[in-house]
Amino acid sequence: MPVRQLVNDPADLVPEALRGFARAHPTLIRHHEDPAFVIRARREGDKVALVSGGGSGHEPLHVGFVGAGMLDAAVPGAVFASPTAYQIKAAIEAADRGQGVLLIVKNYTGDVLNFQIAAELAADDGIETRTVLVDDDLATDGQDEGGPGRRGTAAVVAVEKICGAAAERGASLDDLVALGGRVARSARTLALALASCTQPGQDRPSFELADDEIEFGVGIHGERGVGRRPYGPVRDLVGELTRPIVKALELGHGDSVIAIVNGLGSTHDLELAAVHGELTAILDDLGVDVARSLVGSYVTSLDMRGCSITLLRADDELVELWDAPVRTPALTW
Amino acid sequence: MDTTTIDARAWIERFIAEVERRGAELTELDRRAGDGDYGTNLTSAVRRATAGLEASGADTPEAVFTAVSNAFLNTGGTSGPLFGMWFREFAKALGAKITAKALSEAATNAAAVVQRLGKAEVGHKTMVDAMVPAARALAEAAERDADATTALRAAAAAAQEGAASTEDLLARRGRASYVGEHARGVVDPGALTVAWFFDAATT
Repeated sequence: MPVRQLVNDPADLVPEALRGFARAHPTLIRHHEDPAFVIRARREGDKVALVSGGGSGHEPLHVGFVGAGMLDAAVPGAVFASPTAYQIKAAIEAADRGQGVLLIVKNYTGDVLNFQIAAELAADDGIETRTVLVDDDLATDGQDEGGPGRRGTAAVVAVEKICGAAAERGASLDDLVALGGRVARSARTLALALASCTQPGQDRPSFELADDEIEFGVGIHGERGVGRRPYGPVRDLVGELTRPIVKALELGHGDSVIAIVNGLGSTHDLELAAVHGELTAILDDLGVDVARSLVGSYVTSLDMRGCSITLLRADDELVELWDAPVRTPALTW
Repeated sequence: MDTTTIDARAWIERFIAEVERRGAELTELDRRAGDGDYGTNLTSAVRRATAGLEASGADTPEAVFTAVSNAFLNTGGTSGPLFGMWFREFAKALGAKITAKALSEAATNAAAVVQRLGKAEVGHKTMVDAMVPAARALAEAAERDADATTALRAAAAAAQEGAASTEDLLARRGRASYVGEHARGVVDPGALTVAWFFDAATT
């Protein structure tokens, strides 16, 4: 049977979904239709504004993280495509409260270019912006000199949460750039797919796997990863994801981490909890303290089956900011 | 001494008509050397520009090029926003009247902005391969005190030659850089668009 979807005209899916999303969270967010962005329903007091965005298809990222303690505005592009510079500039202007705007950008060519252009347009209108680039995907580490570098994936949630908490407490734009950069540098992610995803309006996934294969090192756009590996029990698969991250971050006895076990779109919470169980078993063995964990589907790749693991080297300051109150459609504590 | 006048609105309308008429050629070039969405993105950008021009009633060069710039800045992909920043320099420099000197300043600044943002040099098989020679031709024309029409004819010839030169190049930037040798023998659609733009000024 071909893949089936709950969709009208696929070209209308993003705007229709945004309308429905905004109606679901009227106390938290507002949706601006054209140019499209999502902004907090209530904006009181002076603070640095946080704006992020990127292609759609990764929900709840980024629109689900707009609210107190996290983003001020999020700018969704078409499915897997950067928002336009014009959209981003409109969101920056709407979010700015006179203290400058922190732009949180995942490292993809289109996103980087359009956020940079939007920042220059905003500067011409007297709005100061600074950018934190998130590039945590270990699968794309060590590629060509002069190439695009590591992709940005699930660590962006930690950057948005931690910088969001600091911004509520009155951190300056310079402080937030330094903090966000520190979080991004201290985090690495690896992902695997058990089955690929299907674009809206398509009836088959972007790639096929044999019964005994998984795709290792996938990104979040339905592209192939760095290679196929044998399918196996969750303890084996989690080990393959975790060991390279532990090595890259040089984690060892006495170190502390914030862990994100992230579903890629169609992975059940029961399985994600099992992944987290295996992850903590490995880290316990190494003497690495799991200070906090986030387990669920937060940075998805449409309906991909699979998961990513993100580890963020943590200290008291980061854990304390992680624990600070947050109230958004997708994250609340 | 400048005795000719260039009507910015008519220039842009001729450019838009050319994109509408020949958009499929761009798609075909991009399909052979990129990801195939260039023609569609460009067509949607010029349609947005038409709507913007009609809504604003723009007739000064500054207003016309601002409307065109905003339309391109609201386009997906990477070529759209780069063209948006390119047209923006024309809006800034042309003011109320199009002269060879103002065109030279606009095209020189515009090419520099695109090179800075796109990190592309001449010879990388991108829109820059037409933008830079056109800017140089306009600068030379301005130095000779040529009128705007003469200057734009020189720019169009230089842009055409620059676009044609991309056919034999191996791409170093942009989408075509991912397909390597497959892009050799294919004119860069961005450079061709620049040539159409300057052609449309005086035809």
